[in-house]
Amino acid sequence: MTMTTEKNKKTQGPIRWNAVIPFLIICALTFIYFHFFFDFNLRKAFEWAGYKSVGAEVNIANLETSFFKASLRIQGIEITDAEKPLQNTIEIGDIRWGMSWDALLRGKILVNEAMIENIQFNTSRKYAGRVAPPEPPPKPGPGMLEKEAEKLKEEALAKAQQHYADNMLGDLAAILGGTDAKAQLGKIEGSLVSKKKAQEIEADIKSKQKFWDDKVKTLPQGKDIQALGDRLNKIKTKDFKTPQELQFSLQELDAVLKQGDIYYKQIGSTGQDLEKDLKKIDADIKELDVLIKADIKALETRFRIPSINTKELTRALFNKYLGKYMAKINHYRAMAEKYIPPKYMDKITGKDQGKSEDGDEISIQPHPREKGISYEFGRKNSYPLLWIKKAAISSQAGMAPKSGNIRGQILDITSNQVLTGRPTVATINGDFPTEQIKDLLLKLVLDNTKADSLVTYQISVGSYPIAGTDLVTSSDVKISLTSAVGKLNIDGQLKALREFKMNLNNQFTTTNFKISAKDGNIDSILKNTFSSLPIINLIGSASGYLPSISFEVTSNLGSELEKGLRKQVEVKIAEARKQINAYINQEVGKQREQIDNQVKQVREQVEREVKKIQDQLNTQKKQAEAKVEQAKKDAENQAKKKLGEQGQKAVEDLKKKFGF
Amino acid sequence: MTLLLKQIFSFFQLLNSETGTNQLASGLACGLILGFSPFLSIQTLLILCLVFFFRIQMGAAFLSAFFFKFVAFIVDPWADQLGREILENVSLRPLFTEMYNMPLVPLTRFNNSIVMGSGLVGLIMVIPAFFIFRVLITKYRATFVARFKGTKIWKAFATTKVYGWYSKYKELYG
Repeated sequence: MTMTTEKNKKTQGPIRWNAVIPFLIICALTFIYFHFFFDFNLRKAFEWAGYKSVGAEVNIANLETSFFKASLRIQGIEITDAEKPLQNTIEIGDIRWGMSWDALLRGKILVNEAMIENIQFNTSRKYAGRVAPPEPPPKPGPGMLEKEAEKLKEEALAKAQQHYADNMLGDLAAILGGTDAKAQLGKIEGSLVSKKKAQEIEADIKSKQKFWDDKVKTLPQGKDIQALGDRLNKIKTKDFKTPQELQFSLQELDAVLKQGDIYYKQIGSTGQDLEKDLKKIDADIKELDVLIKADIKALETRFRIPSINTKELTRALFNKYLGKYMAKINHYRAMAEKYIPPKYMDKITGKDQGKSEDGDEISIQPHPREKGISYEFGRKNSYPLLWIKKAAISSQAGMAPKSGNIRGQILDITSNQVLTGRPTVATINGDFPTEQIKDLLLKLVLDNTKADSLVTYQISVGSYPIAGTDLVTSSDVKISLTSAVGKLNIDGQLKALREFKMNLNNQFTTTNFKISAKDGNIDSILKNTFSSLPIINLIGSASGYLPSISFEVTSNLGSELEKGLRKQVEVKIAEARKQINAYINQEVGKQREQIDNQVKQVREQVEREVKKIQDQLNTQKKQAEAKVEQAKKDAENQAKKKLGEQGQKAVEDLKKKFGF
Repeated sequence: MTLLLKQIFSFFQLLNSETGTNQLASGLACGLILGFSPFLSIQTLLILCLVFFFRIQMGAAFLSAFFFKFVAFIVDPWADQLGREILENVSLRPLFTEMYNMPLVPLTRFNNSIVMGSGLVGLIMVIPAFFIFRVLITKYRATFVARFKGTKIWKAFATTKVYGWYSKYKELYG
C-alpha cells in the first residue's frame, strides 16, 4: 500500500490532471444551461421586471441569445394597457441586437445591428393582462411645490407675451376707431417724468439764485474798492525828503497792490464757481430734453400707438401659433442644459475656447479615471470603444388612432468618429394616415470628424392638417384659423456647438379664417387681405452664437396687411403723436422756457456784478501802478539832483582850495 | 470557500514538509503577479488558469495575492507615474497602437497607467521573487521547522494517538 502511494506521488507531473476533468464537467454544464435554459429564464426575468416597472403584464413571445454570434433577439413584446387590460399600450414585433466578436476580443463594442421593428400602439390582446394594484399617491413635498411654481410662472409669462402680441392688432383697430387721446391725457399729468425733472431744475435754479445773491454780497463791494482807492491817494509819491520816506511809500503801495490781488482772486474763483454751476444747469437742461423725448415715447406706448411694419405684424399674427413650438424648444433646451455633460456645456457657452484638434492626426485621448489614466491608441479605420453601425426602428399604423407608418434608423453611433471616419446620421420618415400627416422626415447628422463639430438637421412634413388655431384674440380683433393644410420645412446647423442657424418655411394652403373686428374698416381690410391670399407662407430664420439667438419671422400675410392698413392707420397715428407732442409742450414746454429765462437772468446778474467789480479793481490797480512808477521816478530825479548839487559843491570847494 | 481554506491549510502543510519547494515558490510568485494586476483582466484569468491546471500551490498564490494587493495599493502613485511615462513615450506609441488594435491584448488593460506601471513592476519582480521565495522556504525549513521538530513539545505531540491518526490519514489520502 505504501509503495503504491509513493509510486503515485512520483508519477505526478507538472499538469494537475485531476482538475481538468471537473473543469470540463463545469464547462459542459454551463454550456448545457446556456444552450437549453438560459433563454427561457431570461425571458421570464424580463417579463417579471417589466411587470414590476410598468405595473402591467408584459409578455415576450420569443427570446433568443447566442454566445457565438454575440446576439440577442426578442420577438413579440406586448405591454398591457393598465387601464384597458384587453389592450396593449405598445406591441413591438422584433428587437435584434448583434455584436462582433472581432471587436469584443479587442475590448471594444461593435454593434452590427440594433433593430426595433414593427411597433404598434393600442393593439388588442388575446386575453386580459394582469395589472398591478395602484400605488398610494406621493405626498406633495417641496420639490413638487417648486415644480408647480415654475409651471405657473411659465404660464403667466406665456400669457403676458401672448397678451402683448394680441394687443397689436387691437391697438391698430383702436387707433382706427379714433380713441380720444386728449380726454385721457389730462389723467396722467402727474406721471410725467420730464415735468418732475423740470420742477426740480426750477427749484434748483431758485436756490442757486439765492446762493449767488449772497455770494455776490460777500465779494468786495464799491466801498471796499473806494477805500482802497483812498488809501492809495494818501500815499506820497513825490518830494521825498529822506530815503526812509521813499521806502515807507513803496511799502504802502505794495500793501495796496496785494490787497487788490486778493480781491482779484476772490472775484476770479467766484467766476469759476459760477461757470461750474451754469454747466451743471446746462447738463440738467439737456437731461430734461431727453426726458421729454422719453415721455413722448412712453405716452405713445401708453396710448398704444403701434408702428406699422411687416415683421411686427407677422409676429403679432403668428405669435400664438409659433408660441407652442417655441415653448417646446425652450423645454428641450432646458432639458439639454440639464443633461449635457459639463465639458460640452462649456463648449456651448464658449468657456472652452482655443482647443483644437488636428483632423488628420489621431491624438491619444486620456480619460481621467478614479485610478490612473486610460489612454486610447486609435488609428484610422480601427474600432472605437463603442460603435453601433446601425440602429433601426419601424412602426405600423394599425388601428390605433395616433399610430403611423414610421421607419427610422441611426447609422454609426460611435465614441470616436475620427476613427471610423463616418458621421452619425439619424433619419426618421413616414406617415400618420389617421392624422392626415404625410411625408414626415426628421434627419439629424452629427459630424465630429473635423476639428469643429457640425450638427445639421432637417424636419419636414409634406402636408398636415391645422384646425382651430386662434391667432389673435384681443377685445378689438379676433382672428382664428379654422382649417388649413400646412407644409413645413425646417433645416439648419449647429457648428462647434455654438454657431446656430435655422431656416423655417411654413406654408398654409386651403385656409379658412374666422375674422371679426369691432371697427368696420379694419374688419373689411382684414377680411379682404386674408381672402386674397391663396397660399400663406411663414418664413423664419434664427441665427447667432448660443445661447443668444435672434429670431426673425416674415410672412406674405404681414406684408399684405401692412399695405392694407398703412394708409389709414398712419394718418391716425400721426394725429395721436401730434396730440401727445402738443400736450408735452404745453405741460413741460412752459417750464422749460422759464428755466431758460431764469438761467439767463442769473447768469447776466452775476456776470454784471462781477464785471463791475472787476472794472473798478482794474482802475484802482492801474492807478496804484502809475503811483508806484511816479514814486520811483521822483526818487530817481531827486537822487540825480542831489548828486549834481554835491558835485557842484565839490567843484566850488576845489576852486577855493586852488585859489581860483 | 472550503476549497480556498483547504488550499491555505495545504500551503502551511506543504511549507512545513520537505517537498514542494518549487510549487510553493511558483505559487507565491504567481500571487505577486495577481496582486499587481487588476482583478478583471485577461492576465489575471491567465494566471488563475496556470495555477489551476499546473501544479502551482493555490493557497500560496492566494495568500501572496492577498498580501501583494496591499503592496500594490501602496505603490499605486509611483506605478501611475511610471505607467504614464511609458504610455506617453512617443517612440513606443506605434507599438502601443498596434497592441491596442490586436485581439485580446487590450483586455489586459495595458493602456491604463496604473495597470501598466504595476504590471511592469510585477513582471520585473516575478523571476527574482521566485528564486528568493525558494531560498526563503529552504531556509525556513532548515532553521525554524527543524528546530521546532526538535522541541520536546513537538516530540511529545508526535507520540500522541491524535498525531498517529493524522499521520495515517495523510498517508492514505494525501
